[in-house]
Amino acid sequence: MVEAKGIWYLYDGFEFVLKDLTFSVPDGQIVGVLGANGAGKTTLLKILAGLLPSKEMKNEPVRVLIDGKPVQENYGEIAFVSEAGSWFRDLTPQQFGAFLADFYPHFDMAYYEKLLKFFELEEKPVKTMSKGQKSRVEVAAGVAKRTKYLIMDEPFLGKDMFTRQDFMQLLAGSLTGEETIFITTHEINEIENFIDRALILQNGKLAADIMLDTLRESGHSLTEKMKEVMGYRKDGFTEFLRTGE
Amino acid sequence: MLDFSGLELNTSEPVYLQIVGYVKRQIFTGAAEQGNPLPSRRELAAMLKINPNTVQKAVRLMEEEGFVTTPKNSVSILQWSSSVFSEIQKEMTAGFAADFVKHAKENGLTLEEVIHLLRQEWEKGEY
Repeated sequence: MVEAKGIWYLYDGFEFVLKDLTFSVPDGQIVGVLGANGAGKTTLLKILAGLLPSKEMKNEPVRVLIDGKPVQENYGEIAFVSEAGSWFRDLTPQQFGAFLADFYPHFDMAYYEKLLKFFELEEKPVKTMSKGQKSRVEVAAGVAKRTKYLIMDEPFLGKDMFTRQDFMQLLAGSLTGEETIFITTHEINEIENFIDRALILQNGKLAADIMLDTLRESGHSLTEKMKEVMGYRKDGFTEFLRTGE
Repeated sequence: MLDFSGLELNTSEPVYLQIVGYVKRQIFTGAAEQGNPLPSRRELAAMLKINPNTVQKAVRLMEEEGFVTTPKNSVSILQWSSSVFSEIQKEMTAGFAADFVKHAKENGLTLEEVIHLLRQEWEKGEY
């Protein structure tokens, strides 16, 4: 279980990137963290993964608890998959896997190798790979850690439509139902039926916290809801066209 | 095994209800038979690219509604009584008519016009 109790994040000492985010996520839930660029999605994921400290006021309790403990005491149970990548430049995918197997207690080498093969990754130093290939190494390494918490920042980056769909099948088929997943993406259509819940961030605030089943039972779709929450103006283009007149 | 390849998920209904609805339709049309096993939770999750817990939620509902049973340590199978079948039948036919009437009314058709159109279409003999 993940408990966020009023996360604030201050960037450069003056700009608030996250403002008072509070939510709790039970085990086995898949959560989409959605919102426009700059809404604070990546910052939130990094805090949940323990890669950034949530700014704490003096004498206040820790703001993020994972299974009742601070994130920093749970690193072995959290995998963070990001665009930036966690691989080492000079290691090949296999060498990287061997390293991870030492560090992560549940690392699943067979599954990792299956993913490498599926992603058609060659055995060469990661630094010599294309951006898309690097991102595949990152995704394979992340999910093969078989951690209880999987945090994925734009896992579809650099992957074409078919690879995205195949990857979703591998991911969904590898889950036991115990894992808790946080995922950000702009490819809403790839995850709309995968996520149980959507946290929509806007300007660092939690603009909406939605259970997909409840939303759909009330006759709405996620894209509709996002447009509403994010104040998307569907006639914005007409204004643009008219300004020239 | 019950074939799920015909299930195309939409983004307007809860996923677990779409699974339940699909299975009911298979029973209703006769595509599913008594004793047919369901795919495993993992297989179905992979096939539909969904959370295995969503599959679980669907299976639980189908058990409650009485057309799926899961013997201990085994895969879930389809099994229904005649009363459950008539429930499904009722649901499928009433739902179908309700949708149809809704669309007809949205298009501003009168009952007479609908009956006339139906008769015309029915007698074409193309289906």
